[in-house]
Amino acid sequence: MNYLKRSMLYLTHKKGQSLLLLLIMSAILVFVLSGIIIQNAAVSATNSVTKSAGTTISVSANRNKMFSKMRSSSSKSKTKTITTPTVSNTKIKEAGSLSTVAYYNITNTASVNASSFDTVSTSTGSQGGGMMKGGSGASTGNITIDGVSSTKLTSSFISKEDKIVSGRNITSSDANTKNVVIEKELASSNSIKVGDTITVKMTTSGKKKIKLKVVGIYKAKSTSSSGMPGSDPSNTIYTSYTLPATITGTEGKSSTVTYTLSNSAKEKVTTKKIKSIINSSSFSVSSNDESYQQLLQPMKNVQSFAKKIVWLVAIAGTIILGLIIILSVRTRQREIGVLVSLGESKLRIIGQLFSELFVILIGAMVIALLLGNFVGNKVGNQLLAQQETTSVSSTSGANGGPGGGGGAPGSSQNGGMRGGAMTSQTTTSAANKKALKTLNTSISPSSVIKLGGMGLVIIALAVCVAAISILRLRPKDILIGE
Amino acid sequence: MLTVKNLTHWYGQADKPLYENVDLSFDSDKVYTIVGASGSGKTTFLSFIAGLDKPQKGDIFLDGKNIKKIGATNYRKHKVAIVFQQYNLLTYMSALDNILTALSVTDSGHKGEKQYVLDSLKSVGIEEADAKKNVQKLSGGQQQRVAIIRAMLVDANIVIADEPTGNLDGENSAMIIKLFQDLAHEHHKTVIIVTHDPKIADQGDVKISLEDREFVVA
Ligand SMILES: Nc1ncnc2c1ncn2[C@@H]1O[C@H](COP(=O)(O)OP(=O)(O)OP(=O)(O)O)[C@@H](O)[C@H]1O
Ligand SMILES: [Mg+2]
Repeated sequence: MNYLKRSMLYLTHKKGQSLLLLLIMSAILVFVLSGIIIQNAAVSATNSVTKSAGTTISVSANRNKMFSKMRSSSSKSKTKTITTPTVSNTKIKEAGSLSTVAYYNITNTASVNASSFDTVSTSTGSQGGGMMKGGSGASTGNITIDGVSSTKLTSSFISKEDKIVSGRNITSSDANTKNVVIEKELASSNSIKVGDTITVKMTTSGKKKIKLKVVGIYKAKSTSSSGMPGSDPSNTIYTSYTLPATITGTEGKSSTVTYTLSNSAKEKVTTKKIKSIINSSSFSVSSNDESYQQLLQPMKNVQSFAKKIVWLVAIAGTIILGLIIILSVRTRQREIGVLVSLGESKLRIIGQLFSELFVILIGAMVIALLLGNFVGNKVGNQLLAQQETTSVSSTSGANGGPGGGGGAPGSSQNGGMRGGAMTSQTTTSAANKKALKTLNTSISPSSVIKLGGMGLVIIALAVCVAAISILRLRPKDILIGE
Repeated sequence: MLTVKNLTHWYGQADKPLYENVDLSFDSDKVYTIVGASGSGKTTFLSFIAGLDKPQKGDIFLDGKNIKKIGATNYRKHKVAIVFQQYNLLTYMSALDNILTALSVTDSGHKGEKQYVLDSLKSVGIEEADAKKNVQKLSGGQQQRVAIIRAMLVDANIVIADEPTGNLDGENSAMIIKLFQDLAHEHHKTVIIVTHDPKIADQGDVKISLEDREFVVA
């Protein structure tokens, strides 16, 4: 008849009290467990962010170099031309086949003028009209041709700003074709349907006409905020990356490519490798893990929050349990007195107390494991959702800045220069945001061990507190004190 | 033999002791009864010989060995059994389990002998069914009998009782006193009982009265 058996007899006799303790303990453990679960889920989500295509490396014109060239040339001749540097598609492909690269998207842009159809001009038209015609006299046309490897991999499509509403996407198999995807508004205002052919005119001296085949129609979410018709998103036509190269006379070459990594941790190495493959000072090879960091932040916040939950609940739980046990020790003075008078050591009496709580801990663990996953999942995703909203709003705020302020006349928005760092950033964040929308919460054996450990520490501390009051009881007082 | 030597004790002021230089000895096979006014220090005295407290001065020897040397917990475990006026039993278990617990805690020879315990309880009128009920469902008299059987079955040779019949009626008291006599005379233990009841005091083999801060052996 040892103290373990006594514990069981006590627990079964004091059913109500045991049940109450079980409930309190379960509540504490459910919170501790959900904290652990959320923490784990956040950690593994963070790891998967690292592994998933979080980081991009973009190869684009080295602007500084380009503009300094332009300035020096303009001093000599009145009509200067900005030649966007290009790199051969073979090199791009070579870099794309690096094992650390998940996929890549080539972006080439060209500017042409509408021929068989009219452009879409922004409703009010107060600033538009004439300015457009004047502007188009130069090498800038009223239609932007965005050549891409695949529209699906293009930032605006990933972020769902642009969406195919009819027909199909531009894919890599559209290379060397004149297949295009046009905006819905442009299509409807000119009654163009999928399968129709449209014509555009080159802006260069020859004004050569090019026939394009419409294979799809997309809908742009945003309408232009700037008054310039060239920047109305409806006037952007998507084609394969080969077409703008043909128009600008740089066949087999491209100006911008964005590599998306399969593992963000390999960012530095890959950047180095790509640099050596491209091997041109006209290009800047820059990696962008800002979006990755941005995605990581909510995870880190959830992680640290979960950590705080675990600690707060553990501390609060210890205090609550400690108080309950101290109170119960007071009501158990006589019982303790009987045991002391029998010669039972105080250590064993404390041991009995501990094993009673241990049995309750086991029961509470079972309850917590049944409930914890559910609660952890709910709380975790709630937390993440909150984190998401804050991070998304901060991202859109940052991006909205330059675009939204476009009304300013001096804005250097240049139809021919898009893509690059800005684009790639939105690309990746949009891609991963999807992956991180939900936390995958599940209970791993290590969580169970962690929970058990926490539970043990909690009851051990609570028992220690109670032990102080037991040890302070003088045997005689126990017996005489009524 | 339990010997008290030069025992002096006070609470608070040393110049107002409960008693000074007490010398007493208790033999086995005998029932000692201690009587005295309320507040004279009887319970206090018992707490010393029970190893529950230490006197300000003086020593207690068991068969020539100072109980300080034996160690209080060890002494309580193996040498003395205590019966109080009430609240002797663990309320969350049966009479049987109470005694089995005591036998186990004290590591006594009859440890684990369930049938022996049941038989002993039966000998004092507690049937098996009652023995297996929660002790709180037993009457006060029955509960005291359980406590006495517990004192009987453990190995301890000294039985100390503080007002064991204080809550009982005459009939139950008589039964309890008879049991204490059995403990001394048949089980060869030293029995020391503090009581208010003169009738009970008279049934001891040696009567000690605590009067005017002196223990007087009649
Ligand atoms: N822990 C203590 N601290 C201070 N004084 C105490 C303590 N315990 C007992 N006393 C005092 O010592 C005196 C003796 O107490 P004790 O309980 O030994 O008397 P008693 O003879 O058993 O009385 P009763 O017959 O009423 O049980 C009392 O005056 C009591 O107030
Ligand atoms: Mg008393």
